[in-house]
Amino acid sequence: MLMIGLILFIAVIGFSLSDRKELTWPEKFLGDSVGFAQQWFYKPAGLVAGFFEDIRELKTLHEENEQLKLTAAAYARDKINYNFIQKENERYKELLHFTDRQKNMNNYKYVIAQVIAIDNDPYNHTMVINLGSKNGIKPNMAVTTVDGLVGLVSNVRPYTATVTPITELDDTSPTSNSIAATVLGREDSSFGIVGSYDKETDRLIMTKIAESDKMIVDDVVITSGLGNVYPRGLVIGTVETRQVGDFGLTHTATIKMAAKFDHLTEVFVVQVPDSGDE
Amino acid sequence: MGDRGINRLILVMLLLFIVEGTIMPWLIPAELTGRIVPHFLFVFVIFAALYSGRHRALFFGISFGFLQDIVYFGHLMGVNAFAMGLIGYYTGVLLERRRSTLLTALSVVGLGSILYDTIVYFVNMVFRITNESYAWALMDHILPSLFLQLVFALAVYVPARRLYESHLKLNPETEEE
Repeated sequence: MLMIGLILFIAVIGFSLSDRKELTWPEKFLGDSVGFAQQWFYKPAGLVAGFFEDIRELKTLHEENEQLKLTAAAYARDKINYNFIQKENERYKELLHFTDRQKNMNNYKYVIAQVIAIDNDPYNHTMVINLGSKNGIKPNMAVTTVDGLVGLVSNVRPYTATVTPITELDDTSPTSNSIAATVLGREDSSFGIVGSYDKETDRLIMTKIAESDKMIVDDVVITSGLGNVYPRGLVIGTVETRQVGDFGLTHTATIKMAAKFDHLTEVFVVQVPDSGDE
Repeated sequence: MGDRGINRLILVMLLLFIVEGTIMPWLIPAELTGRIVPHFLFVFVIFAALYSGRHRALFFGISFGFLQDIVYFGHLMGVNAFAMGLIGYYTGVLLERRRSTLLTALSVVGLGSILYDTIVYFVNMVFRITNESYAWALMDHILPSLFLQLVFALAVYVPARRLYESHLKLNPETEEE
């Protein structure tokens, strides 16, 4: 009896570890029907909790407002600059005969999604969002909040999808990806790979930074788009420390994540334009 | 198993499952997210083993474990189903014939929670999903979540026991194997 159970259990685990492109229909059906019920609970609970948080934040509101005004002014200035540069860039691309695919490569679409449930299992943090394959969501799309990168879409069902947060990154795990990263403002000279997360200190670990790299503490780390999994230009966090790595040849840095992972309600799924090879 | 008692039980457990994933993340303070993990269904599986028999505990453990595995599928499937089914069944084997009081029930829930988290930890370690040491896992989430499970078990002890035992009184022959 126990033996049969054990064999079945290992078979199921083996099946789930295999490199599957799509979920089976019972998984899709169960996930979607539970997701349908979950969405009636998560958001109202969030609203009630949010109300009390709002009261607490009333004090800091004035300061925040001041800061936002400053940012808005800076934004207006930059926007004008950006428009000019964008026009110029388009003209150059035209002159250099870029193909349509190359032109649209970094033209991302942000789709808003509601979080409908969270599993805080320490080995398996996942979130369920209320968009699925019927809304054009595909596995491995990046998920962000307004603050920064949150994770990757891991499984897609017709009406819901599960998201694996970047705190699940692990360079020794068989199912995890790494993020190619760079530093905001020095995109062409800085490079590193964010491959794991330290649970004990709550920091991401960035490795393979060249010794000559000018990366310093408080630099903003963004995705570089080189790994072909994450689109480029998504904020990951800020550099907190930098030291010589395990073998002395490259440096490693710890990164404080920009996005907050508790109490998420709205996230954005970044849709990369079709590359045509699928 | 087509009577009203079991239907009500399944409904209550489904509701608990939804509450676990939707309302609990808001109630747990932000600093403790990921350290206190609710396993309400597990508490109900233990109660099922104590007051309703090992077969029902096995059935509940496997089916609700699988529900959790499928809905929140991340790396491995079947871990929760295996751990809940196993612990539920053997708790039933050991204790279903005795009359369990509140104190026994609570201590069984406590021991079971530690055992459950330990099984889940070791399965994840064997498949290289986690590299943390067991001592760290114990301090990080196994012990903190234990208290949540105990408080929950204490809170629902009376209604849950009534639910299971009313069902037994309705058709006592289900317990005769």
